[in-house]
Amino acid sequence: MLKSIKEKWIYLVIAILLILIPFDWFLGKYNTLMIFIGLNTMVTVGLCLLMGYTGQVSLGQAAYYGIGAYFSAILSKTYNVDPWLAMLIAAVVTGTFAYSIGYLIFRLKGNYLAMATLGIGIIIWILFRQLSQFTGGPDGMSGIPYLSIGGFVFDTPFKRYYLVWFFTLALLFISQNIIRSRTGRALRAIHGSEDAAESIGINVAQFKVKIFVLSAVFASLAGSLFVHHLRFVSPQQFDFLASVKLVVMAVIGGLASIWGAIFGAATTNILSDELLLNFGELDIVVYGLILMLVMIFMPQGLFVKLKEIIVLWRARAAEKEKI
Amino acid sequence: MDKLDLTIEEGIITAVIGPNGAGKTTLFNLIAGVYSATDGEIFFQGKRINSIPAHKRVSLGIARTFQHALLFGNMTVLENIMAGQHIRSRYGILEAALSLPNAHREEKAIFLEATKYLNLVGLGMEKDREALSLPLGRQKLLAIARALATEPKILLLDEPGAGLTTIEKRALSDLIHRIIDMGITVLLVEHDMPLVMGLAEKVIVLDRGQKIAEGSAAQIQRDKKVIAVYLGEEAEE
Repeated sequence: MLKSIKEKWIYLVIAILLILIPFDWFLGKYNTLMIFIGLNTMVTVGLCLLMGYTGQVSLGQAAYYGIGAYFSAILSKTYNVDPWLAMLIAAVVTGTFAYSIGYLIFRLKGNYLAMATLGIGIIIWILFRQLSQFTGGPDGMSGIPYLSIGGFVFDTPFKRYYLVWFFTLALLFISQNIIRSRTGRALRAIHGSEDAAESIGINVAQFKVKIFVLSAVFASLAGSLFVHHLRFVSPQQFDFLASVKLVVMAVIGGLASIWGAIFGAATTNILSDELLLNFGELDIVVYGLILMLVMIFMPQGLFVKLKEIIVLWRARAAEKEKI
Repeated sequence: MDKLDLTIEEGIITAVIGPNGAGKTTLFNLIAGVYSATDGEIFFQGKRINSIPAHKRVSLGIARTFQHALLFGNMTVLENIMAGQHIRSRYGILEAALSLPNAHREEKAIFLEATKYLNLVGLGMEKDREALSLPLGRQKLLAIARALATEPKILLLDEPGAGLTTIEKRALSDLIHRIIDMGITVLLVEHDMPLVMGLAEKVIVLDRGQKIAEGSAAQIQRDKKVIAVYLGEEAEE
């Protein structure tokens, strides 16, 4: 009961903050940054579920972000399909693709699985570059239309902030519901012991594919929203570095933490702008370092570690008061 | 396994014994579906199950525990048992995602069922503890509760007494009798002879993948072949 009440208060505070951020008198100048944090959170939470619960690494997650982006871009611009319908089609295509390769690649273990996901990511990136009659090749496509509902067009960062964060929060709540359900228990069982999970009737292979598909669909939705924000799409937005950044976000946020995904996405986004400024193309080295350090010293993620530290502080403060 | 032909009788406690390497755990893995039989057939309640994968055999009613418990360390005691109820509930990822009412209803039912098994094995006081924080004896009880939660017809216990104190072994015996009373057939692999002889209504002796004797506990203890095999093992040590 107490957890529920405390939780609802926290949600309320976060909700108020999120609603007020885009106003100029508050934090409005960070609108675009917040949009990207929201988009990245959407992809990251899917990645957290995949990596944190079924223990399957994905070094090519940016590819699904890209498939969502390109399908939305091509359908809505070149073929004049309604952007919302295009977004739905993109999600179905991405999900179906993930489903078909899922059973194949999840037979692989450890490093082989990682390489397979990496390989698929690169192949898709190459397709983005090569299928130029559709994708515009290495130079990409521009002039992608805005999303709109009736006459209301999402033509300013202010409006798109609310659109993106609506989706971001929806996906976060959906993920939380899943984790707290029978499905979530099955996922945690798989994470705890695959053999024991099979012994209680859980179809481990099927679950891995399901979560993989879920993570791909999350990424696709984010990709669609991305192109209707930036109105420009190009292959280098979905290269290996993009996939690495996503893994860094997931790892910093904590692989088994849903809300940590916001934290991971936020810190990495803010960091990436700084890094690009100071290191240029060597930023990938820094990401590699961060990954290593986090995995060695706080494998549960920075977010969970910070929560632990806060709990410890409170405990110590309470003890001091007793004395 | 070498030309093994055996029938497990419903409703009783059957023990499988034999020296190390006799193939007892292999037998379990074959029944549970972890290993595929290269030759021969396995029937469960009249149905041939050779081609049925391990996870599907659980819905048919075959449950098993492991020698090393293999608990879900990332969950509490009760959550481990609730996980066992997975295949006896229906609601899927969509109902969960949207937090639909039938999902909540089924969750409540899972909680109540799991609590029953929790209390059956005597872990009621520890329900919210981390599974791995339990002492070994109670971890093994938890593993049994989790397997029972799948509502099996037959329960395969792999060395349930290993590492247990005398008191814990008595509690285990009592539990196994209560499981039989529930109408569940029990097949166990054990090295502890007094425990086996006190519990089992039928004993099957394996050596090097073959069945060398079968009968009541008393008969087995007198069987010359069995004595030879065990004496041989002692001579090696």
